Formats: sequence, structure tokens, C-alpha cells
Amino acid sequence: METIWQDVRFGLRMLIKHRLATIVCVVALGLGIGANTAIFSLAEAFLVHPVPFENPDRIVALVDARVNSQGGAGFGPQDLNAVAPATYLDWKKEVRSFDDLGAYAWDEVSLTGDREAQKVQDFQISANFFSMIGVQPLMGRTFLPEEEEPGRNQEIILSYGLWEQRYASDPNVLKRVIKVDGKSFNIVGVMNKGFDFPMAAEAWIPLTLSTKERLRRDNRWLWVLGRLKPGVSFSEGAAEMRATSEREAQAYPDTNKAWRVHPLPLREFITGPLTRQYTLLLMGAVAFVLLIACADVANVQFARITGRTSEFAVRTALGGSRWRVARQLLIESILLSLAGAGVGLFLAQMDIQMILAHMPPDVARFVAGWKTIRLDGNAFLFALGIAVLSGLISGIAPSLLGSRANIAETLKEGGRGSSISRTRHRLRGALVVCEVALALVLLIGAGLLVKGFQGLLSVTENYAPQTLLTFHYSLPEVQYNQPAVRLNFTEQIVQRLGTISGVQAASLVTNVPYANGGGIDEDEFSIEGIPLTERGEVRSAIVETTAPNYFNTMNIALRDGRLLSDTDGAESARVAVISESLARRYFHGEKALGRHVKVGKAEAEGEWMTVVGVVNDVHYSWIVKEAVPTIYRSFRQAPPNHTTVVLRTEGDPQKFVSAARAEIAAVDPNLPLYEIKPMDKVITESIVGIAYVATMMAVMGAIALILASVGVFGVMSYSVSERAHEIGIRMSMGAQTRDVLTLVLRSGLLLTALGLTIGLPIAFLMARALSSLLFGVEAADPASFIGLPLLLLAVAGLACYLPARRAANLDPLQALRHD
Amino acid sequence: MADANGTLIKMEGVKKVFLTDEVETHALSEIHLEIKKGTYISIAGPSGCGKSTLLSILGLLDSPSDGNYWLNGQPVAKLTISERTRIRNREIGFIFQAFNLIGDLTVYENVELPLTYRGTSAAERKQKVQHALERVGMAHRLRHYPSQLSGGQQQRVAVARALVGDPLILMADEPTGNLDSKNGEAVMELLRDLHRNGATICMVTHDQRYANFAERTIHLFDGRIVEETQEAHVGA
Repeated sequence: METIWQDVRFGLRMLIKHRLATIVCVVALGLGIGANTAIFSLAEAFLVHPVPFENPDRIVALVDARVNSQGGAGFGPQDLNAVAPATYLDWKKEVRSFDDLGAYAWDEVSLTGDREAQKVQDFQISANFFSMIGVQPLMGRTFLPEEEEPGRNQEIILSYGLWEQRYASDPNVLKRVIKVDGKSFNIVGVMNKGFDFPMAAEAWIPLTLSTKERLRRDNRWLWVLGRLKPGVSFSEGAAEMRATSEREAQAYPDTNKAWRVHPLPLREFITGPLTRQYTLLLMGAVAFVLLIACADVANVQFARITGRTSEFAVRTALGGSRWRVARQLLIESILLSLAGAGVGLFLAQMDIQMILAHMPPDVARFVAGWKTIRLDGNAFLFALGIAVLSGLISGIAPSLLGSRANIAETLKEGGRGSSISRTRHRLRGALVVCEVALALVLLIGAGLLVKGFQGLLSVTENYAPQTLLTFHYSLPEVQYNQPAVRLNFTEQIVQRLGTISGVQAASLVTNVPYANGGGIDEDEFSIEGIPLTERGEVRSAIVETTAPNYFNTMNIALRDGRLLSDTDGAESARVAVISESLARRYFHGEKALGRHVKVGKAEAEGEWMTVVGVVNDVHYSWIVKEAVPTIYRSFRQAPPNHTTVVLRTEGDPQKFVSAARAEIAAVDPNLPLYEIKPMDKVITESIVGIAYVATMMAVMGAIALILASVGVFGVMSYSVSERAHEIGIRMSMGAQTRDVLTLVLRSGLLLTALGLTIGLPIAFLMARALSSLLFGVEAADPASFIGLPLLLLAVAGLACYLPARRAANLDPLQALRHD
Repeated sequence: MADANGTLIKMEGVKKVFLTDEVETHALSEIHLEIKKGTYISIAGPSGCGKSTLLSILGLLDSPSDGNYWLNGQPVAKLTISERTRIRNREIGFIFQAFNLIGDLTVYENVELPLTYRGTSAAERKQKVQHALERVGMAHRLRHYPSQLSGGQQQRVAVARALVGDPLILMADEPTGNLDSKNGEAVMELLRDLHRNGATICMVTHDQRYANFAERTIHLFDGRIVEETQEAHVGA
């Protein structure tokens, strides 16, 4: 132990003595360890703590997925769907692997009456929901089984945050009766602080299913969770569920043939496949950065060892074993890494603060695990662990080689050109090649993501979102249950909003593109005269209820026929405008105009609408690459409850918020407006996830580029000092400045070119493997695959040029004396 | 070519002063020297007397602090680095004490080096390298690396490299310093043969036995030429 302390003390002295090398190493490792620690903290939050309760391991999410061409479940990572009520109830009765199944459904309600109207994110949950996931309320109780019955659902449980914010943490809140969407509800419980499951929940009300709803197998809107029985593994439970799903597909082919259950561990389900994959991508990227940093440090260590050859020879001559010499070097390397970890923890804390600060709160609350992101004890241990590992990685080769010194040759003055120095030279070259290859892979990955992100931004520019104001309202069902009342309200507000000075157009639509974080709700629809070709097939489209001027307000161009008009009134023939993708996909080249479509099944209630126009497709979400078929109908023919108002304004849309509020309050003073945002903010919030990933990848790419250049510079600088004698010989033989420049540049660029040659196919394979994570850009994007290697080559060229200049300016006489 | 008198090198009042930490060290003072074409001259003297400095200036590896120097009738004391390099490549061949072969190049490539920098065509290079190596008896080791050769063989390769460009003069700095006596004798015999065939040689040595190989020896002491001797038997 004492000898180890000796080595540590001596190591510290050496690191202080070679200050510049130490600083370079500590900064490089700090960048690598810092990036890894920050991403570890994100990964820990997203992948390990995505739910705000203990022991979620036994909970399984049972979601529906479309059958793919191979007969398996799921078309892709995004294909996770809710379950129909009848299916859920069948499962509850049949399955044996689970103690219990529970369900929840997304909901939004307006709280009114006691204070100002407030929109609240609530969830309808089965009565057993809280007991199934194993949580208890802070105050009061959870729901009773009888409260699931229609008409009995008059209870509400508040989240801690809502209790605190709206009711000032009133200890007597349980005695209160509040208005929820105009109906009276009793507050029966308050949940613990921090509990907001399912994500962003502010309140919970009982899930009630009418007799009719209990029989529906085609309307998928329930998210089902189950707790595995003790002793039953996830795979056993999943196998039982798949068998059950197969039986249902045979028993109910019309509704279930095209669907299969897709069991997922709760953590995986809540985190979501994209977040999971992007987190893993970032973890891979930061691992690359750390490896490049380790290669840099190893190169510096090689250089330092060369300068200490005599010291090691003396140590060995005096009886020091090879292991002892190697240990000395390894300890120095680990000390460097630990110092790097110190810097890294500081950088990680800064990274995390920046990450947290730039995420819009409206988005953050829907990111599972977001509020648990912090630099905790685990992150500290992780940083320590990778520091030791980095120390070993960067120190192992230099220490083994350093401890192999030939004593006799080294102690002899002028001993030079041994096989060890050649091995060292080759190893250093190999390290640079690896660095360049890794940096290129990272750069191309970052380039593709950034380019895709820029592509998304350019697509959305078509809407001119800087001058669009959007907000939502939901008309309370009790007050607005008649279509005529809703139509009257809607007509009034469209007319009033249009008269606001500075508002160029007032329009409305069910959901603007990129709303709800880019989530897309599709409805089943039918086409008259084109029956479904097989059982279980479903035609689905986004159904937008709009004002006729919506297309002009959003710059959506007409392709064929006409747009909706003000004459398409409640008493007129029902008409619809469809998107080009719907016309192409479902009318197969035939003329769509004049054909009839209906929302829902052909035999269901509802009127057929005549297609009067075809418009350009609208990009709704960055996640969905294909255009989604869309049907537009007039609000006068289907007066909506839930609507997004869209105002095209002159200048900054925020300036019109109070005027818009006033006009709506003039029609209904109790109607809450929510999600009041300029369109560009809607878009920004929708793509903030990919923006984060693209930004982080770009930062990683830049760090990789810098570290790789430092590596090339370090190796070439060292190579020049190592080859000074040779350069002196060449100069004495008549080598001109340009010959020496060429000599050094050629050897540096050769290493770079080798690294690029190795890195390019790896980057290509990586891009293809990650194509599901790339949006708005091709995996084989030529600009990225040509431009970024050239950028790396140019930067490496500059890194070679500086030492090459130094070499060319060497005094041949001095260089010949150089040993 | 040499001037009408056959003078290849002429130095007048050459001085070399090194400045180190504001201390002036006079390495060479008032050097007056004339070397005619075909001469075999040795520069002798004790360690630190300025032999190597003089050779460096003669070989255009360094420039004098003062004085004049004509090589082949051309003033070369105040040339640019680039011009000196060009003349070094074309007119001067070097033989170093430590051989100074490049370890990563083969024997052939080492000898080829001056021609490469001169821009000689590949075919001509091949022919000249072959010829130079034959002259020193090393043509059978073309593909060997320096580390695979003995010290004597390495120095013969270095001599071949010095000869390959047909220089006006060979500058040899302690060419036997790193060799045992047997190999040292062999290299000296090689130089004598080259001289017999017309080569002009300027050699620095501190070993009187080898100085005697030259027909003319100048003795340096404290940076000055203090004596000059002629050897009658050279060339016999």
C-alpha cells in the first residue's frame, strides 16, 4: 500500500511538472466524462425512473399493434395503440398471469365554479388503478368499484400540484364540491407530492363504461396495465396475452384480425420507443467522444513516456520490475482521469442545467422521467467508474510499452531507433486513425440529425407561423349539447375575432399541424362504392372540422375542385375536401371529386359527404414521415366541441391575445382558453425533442472534431520532434521547405485518409441502422457523406500544417544535432 | 566548375560568432582558405577547436558571421536558405560521423534521396544509385534497411549517398568516428580511391592517422588556422 502511495505522490509530481500535457489531458477527459455523465443522468431519468412510483417492474403495459406483413405485432416503434373496451373486459376475465388489470384514458376537463376557469389534464382511471400500481393517496381515498358505474362518476382525486396551486393546500379540500365540465364532483382524495402518473396527470376521475361502450371492439381508447402475479415472469405473461389476442382475432375478425396485443414492461412503454432509442443513440455518441479523448490522452502519454525512457531504464536497472514501472504509469493515467472526472462533473452539471432550462414546461411535463433529471449519487459513481476505466484504457498501452524499455540501449548515450520506438510510432498512428474514424462516424450522425432538423423547420415555414396565433377551447357538454348552440357560438366567435384590428383572418380547425407534440389522431372513414377488400381492414384519416378560410390562412393550396365555402351551411348538402394523399391512396388514380366519404363505418349513423376538392398534404408531425390522409369538413355542417382557433395577425401574434380573450368572453365569459401560443411556438415545442437530440449530437460532433484534430496535431507535432534528426538529414541532402512540408503533411493526411476510409463505411452502416431515427433526410445523404469527411480532412490538414511549418523552419544544423 | 586557377573553395576573413545568453563565443576567426579542385584536404585539431563549424560553413549548412566565401567562383556567404539548399543538393556531398541514414528508408532509397530532391527522373535515379552503390561495394544490399547493416556498411552507403549526385566536393565529418579501426581503415581507403579518381574531399578528423590520408592538412586551434601541412605520399 505504501508503495502505491509513493507512486501516487510521484505521479502527481510528474503531472504538475508536465503542466501543459496535463491540462490538455484533463480537458479532453473532462469533455468526454462530462458528456457521458450528463447523458447518463438523462438515461437514468428516462430509462430507469420514468414513473413516479416504486417497483414498477411487475407492471406490464398491454397495447394493441397492427399486424405487420410478417404476421408479428407492430409496424414500427411508434405503432402503440390503445385497446377497445370489450377487449379489455375480456382480458380482465380471462387472463391468469396477472393479479389484476386496470385501465386509463386521456381526458381534459375544465374546472369552474369556485375560481376562474382552468383547463386540467386529467385521466379517467379504473377504480383499481392506484391499488394495482401500489400507490396510496396523501389524503382521502381512491375510487370505489361502484364509482365506475355510469352516473356514479361524481368523484375526483387531485394531484398534489393542483391541490397546492388551485386550493392553496386547503386541508379541508375533501369536503369540497367542485364543477368539472359544468357537473358537480366531490373531491375524494389528494395524491402525494410528485405523483403525476400517467404522465402530466393533474387530476383523476373514475372510468365509466356504458353498456354500449362495453361491447365496442373497434374503438380503441383505453390504455391497459396489468400487475404480474408473483412467480410469473414477463415472458410468461406476454405469451399468455399473445395467445389470448390470437383467439380474439379468430373470434372477432371484423375488428381484431388486423391487431395483436403487444405487451411491454411499463418502463419501456412509458419512456416510449423514440425517447429510448434517442437516449441510446446519445449514449453511443458520448461513448465515442470518450474513446476519442482516451486516444488523445494515450498519445500524450506515449509522448511523455518517450521523454522518460531513461527514468524507466534507471528504475529497471535498480531492480524495479516491469509491473512496477507499468503500475507507476497506470497510476499517473488514472490520476489524470480522476482530475478529468472532476472537470467532467462540473461540465455535466452545467450541461444538465442548460438542458433543463431550455425545455418548455408544457413539453417537459409530458416527458416521462424529466423531473428526475439531476446529477445524483449514481451519476457521481458513474463518473468515477468511467474515469478509472478511461485511465486504464488510455494508460494501458503506453504503460506496457514504457515498461518494455531496453535498459542497455537506453542507458547508452545516443541509443535510438529501437523496435520499441517504432512500435510506439505505429501505435500512435493507429490511435489517430481510430480517432478520425470515430470522429467521422459521430460527425456524420450529427450531420444527418441536424440536416433533418433543418429540413423540418423549412417544411413548417410554409405556414408562415410567426404571424399565426392559436388557442384551444372545449365547449362544456352540458351547456353546448345541441349542435345549433355550438354552431351559434362558433359563428359568433369567428365573426368577432375577424373584426379585431390587425387580425387578417380568423379561422378554426380541430387541431393545427404539430399540435399535441405532433401526436396524430386518426378516425375511421368509409368510401361509398369502394368496399373494404378484406375483413379487419381499416381506412383511417385525420378528420379536421374547419372554417372555410382555413386553407388560405394556413397557405394550403388547392389541387383540384374547390375549397369549402361559406355557402356550405348546416342545411346544404354535406361536402368535404380531402388531401392529396387520401385521393392517391384510396381512389387509386380515379377522380375523387364527386365521390362520397363518411366518418365512421359505412353502415354507421352519419351522412355521406361529397368530395368537392383536393388540397395539398400538410405535414402534421416530425415523427410520421409519410403524409397522413386528411378529410376537411365545414364547422357549419359538424359544429365542434373541441376546436383550435387560428388567427392570422399583422406582426407579433402575442399582441392579440387579450383582444381575442375579450371577444370570446363577450360570448361566453366562463369558457377557458388554453394552449394560447403563436404557431411557431407550437411547432418549436413539437420538435423540441429532435432539436435537443440534434443539438446534443452537433455538440458531440464538434467536440469529436476538436479532439480528433488535437490528436492529429499532437501526433504530428511529436512526430516532427521525433523526426527532427531525419528532417535535418533530408535538408542537408537538399530538401527544400516545400519538400519538408510535403513530407509532414503527407504522413498526417495519410493517417487522416486512412481514418476516413475506415470511418465512412461504418458511418454508412450506422446511418442505415438508425434510419428509423432520421427525419427529413436520407440515411445516405450525399452532402453529409461528402461534405463532412472533407471538413474533417480540412481540419486535420490544418492540424498537420502547423507542425509541418515548424518542421520546414528547422535549422538543419540544429536538427542534425537533435537526438 | 572551378575558376581558371582551379580554385573550388575560397574563404577570406571568415568568422563565426555564437551568441548564447549575451555571451559571445568566437568559434572561428579570420579563416583564410583556398581549396583547389581534386584536392584531398583534412581539417584537424583538438575537440572544440571549430573543425565541425568550419565544415558546416563550407558545406553551406551554416553561414559565416563575417567574411567572404566563394564556392566554385560564386559568392555563397549571404545566400538565402533556399539558395543554399539548392547548392547543397547539387554541389556538395556529405558524409557524417553518425552515418545519418534514415532508418525507415532502404539502402536504395537513402542513396536516392539527393536525386529525388533534385527532381531527377526515375530512370536516371535508378542508374545513378546503382552506380554509386557499386562504387562503394554495396550494390548487393539495395533492399536492406540501415539497421540490417554493420557500421562500416552503413558508412559506405552514406558515402554512396554523398557521391550519387556527382558533387563538386565531398564533406566528411569524422567519417570514422563511429567505426572500429578495421572498418575505419576501409572507409578511409574508399575515400582515397575516390580521390584518386578525381574527387575533391574535405574531411574533418581529430585522428592524426586518418588526417595523413589527405594530401593537405590544416590545423585549427581556438578557431584559427595555426598550421598547414602537405603529405607527399597521397595519391601514390
